[in-house]
This record gives sequence, C-alpha cells and structure tokens, in this order.
Amino acid sequence: PDTPQEAKRERPPLHQYIRKLIYADLNKTNTEKILRQIRKFNWDDPEVAAYNVKCLKNVWNLKYFNIRYVASLLAGLVQYHDWVGTEIIDSVLEDIRLGMEGNNPKHNQRRTAMVKFLGEMYNYRLVDSALIFKVLYSLITFGVMMDPEMAWNSLDHPDQMVRLRLVCVLLDTCGQYFSSGSSKKKLDYFFLYFQRYYLFKKSCFASEESFPLGISSMVLETLSILRPKMQILEDFEAACKGVLKIEEEFIAILREKMPEFMQVVAQEGETDEAGLGTI
Amino acid sequence: MTAISSKPPDSEKKREKEKKEKNVAPTKIVVRRLPPSMTEEEFLNQVSPIPDHDYIRFVKADYSLGQDVFCRAYINFVHQEDIFIFQEQFDGYVFVDTKGNEYIAIVEFAPNQKVGMQKDGKRKDPK
Repeated sequence: PDTPQEAKRERPPLHQYIRKLIYADLNKTNTEKILRQIRKFNWDDPEVAAYNVKCLKNVWNLKYFNIRYVASLLAGLVQYHDWVGTEIIDSVLEDIRLGMEGNNPKHNQRRTAMVKFLGEMYNYRLVDSALIFKVLYSLITFGVMMDPEMAWNSLDHPDQMVRLRLVCVLLDTCGQYFSSGSSKKKLDYFFLYFQRYYLFKKSCFASEESFPLGISSMVLETLSILRPKMQILEDFEAACKGVLKIEEEFIAILREKMPEFMQVVAQEGETDEAGLGTI
Repeated sequence: MTAISSKPPDSEKKREKEKKEKNVAPTKIVVRRLPPSMTEEEFLNQVSPIPDHDYIRFVKADYSLGQDVFCRAYINFVHQEDIFIFQEQFDGYVFVDTKGNEYIAIVEFAPNQKVGMQKDGKRKDPK
C-alpha cells in the first residue's frame, strides 16, 4: 500500500537508552538493577535529569502492570535525589487535575495510568494518605453538579463514567492499607460520599438496566472488597440522607469545640469536605 | 449505614484534622494555566517581586497533552500572610503570550506540600 511513511523521530542514544530501561526492560526481577543504571546517569546535567524525570512520570508508556515498578524505582531514587520525588508527585497531581478540567475521553487511558501510579506511590510511601484522600474527594467533587439538568453543563456529564473508574483504580491499588486508625475512618466517610456520587450517576439513567453493568459491578466490587460488612446504600436519596447525617454530626462537634470558627463559617456559607484545597 | 454509625464518634477525626491544619498550615502554592510558551524569566519578570520564599520551581509545558498545554510554577512562601496577597494579585490574572493569546492563571495551594531538597542537596549519590 502507498501509505506515506511517517517521519520517524530519531532520539539521541541516551534518550533511547533511558526509554528502553524504563518502558521496555523494567519488570519484577530487574528493578534493583535498573535502579543502579538510572543512578549512574549524570544527574548534575539538567537536561539528562529532566529527561529522566519525564520518562519516569509518563507511566502510560508502560504496561499497566509494570507501573508499580516505576514507583519502586522512584522510592529507591529519592534516597539520593529527593527533588525528583517532589517533581514527579507534583506533575502527577497536575495531570490528574488537568484531566478533569480537559475531560477529553482520548486521555482516559492516560488518566487511569496516572491514578494507578499515584496509588502505587502511596504503597511505596512516597505520598501520604492525606494526599490520596484529597485526590479521591476531588475526583467526586471537582466541577461536579449533583443536579440532573445542570450536570450536562458541568465538567462531569451524567453519562461519563471515567471518574468512577479512577476512584476504583485508586482504591483497588492502595485502599487495602486504609484499614486502621484515622485512615480507616476516613475511608468509611469517603465511601458515603462516593456512594452518593455513584448513585447520583445511576439516578440519571432512565432505568436500572440502562446503567452500564460493568461500571456498577466495578464499583460494588471495590466497595465489597475493602468493606465487606458495609451496607450498600440503595438509592441517591438514601445516600444524601447519610451524608447529611454525618455532616450534621460534624457541625455539632465543631460548634462544641470551636464556636468562634463556626460563626465565621456560617457567614461564608462554607461546606464540609471540599475537594482539592483551592485558596 | 450501620457500619459507619457504629464506628467511634467522629470527633477524633475532626480533631486530628484540626490539629493537622493548625500545625502545618500550607505554604506551597502553585500558579497554574500559564501560557505554554512562557519561559521562567518571563514568569519571574511578570510576578516579581515575589514575597519571601525559599523554593520556586517553574515547570515547562508538557506537549504530550495535546490541547491542554500550560506552564506552571510552584512557590513556597516563608510568611503565611504573603500567600493571600500573592493570590489576590495573581489568581485570575490574565497572562498574554507573544501571539496575543490570553491565559487566565489560577493560584492554589499545591496539593502536595512537600518541597524536596534542591538539586545540590546534601547527599551525594555514591553510585
């Protein structure tokens, strides 16, 4: 066939080598060895360092399963180059946010890979649980309108399922470690808000059957694996009631502990549990 | 609902949250949605003088995203009150690139508050 040949980008050998190490070679058995190779690069050269960081960050170029080993590599690397961790974490978070703002289905795969990577970074102690919860809440609140009419003009259309998937990916990756202490409780609360979000989406469909089956089983599976004893809420109204109930409890406690603060909040009309902390 | 309401009262969670917020008030901010063609110098020229800060990092645009391409900058301020002045000034500020396109910047607390040691950090990799 006479298809015009695509101009092939010729990368410098060093770039090719970095890419080969991370995107092609990296697997369970050679993480240590590749870490040693990567450490040998000239990290004092800003260009080399920047290319390394870029390759480590662009995890959608890897096999999905191997994303965990990039987190492992990074955990080893930050021992010597602390700033690399910061740069990559910042970039991943920005990517997740831009994904929500752009809301381009073309990037769904990439967004999934990024969220997976974030979860793996938690597993390797590169980020803390507070950050994971920030992202979880932002996924179910940022630009979200819980109104069937308005939702069509929002950044998250009622028929778009990608955020449900992202939440499930993140929780499937690292949710198992939110099993004790405050992170356990945080996850319990999050599940209430998450169910409300999920059930809102479901309520926008004409009937139970018209909602994509794959999505509802994915959500229910994530919930049941992490909290097998939790009672699954039935519908959007029940979820709203549940959320309202705990928010009232929160407010009552706040009133008791910090009366002055509550007055200010009442004036500003702030709501509990916002997503990513905008100023 | 039973599983949730049978948990110990949520005062603990709230208290912990308060404590966290009080002890480590966020100081690192991010300026997002800057023009993709912007350079670090141009950025510094336009926002200076930046109040006391101990960390600043300008990130060039990532063209792999196609249409949503922006630069951004992270700044860690030394004084809390400077943050609000800076935000007042630049949140919603319109930056214009060389072609005349307008970009409305967003100033927010960076979700990741860690700053990380600079490249000339103390530990040298023995390799």
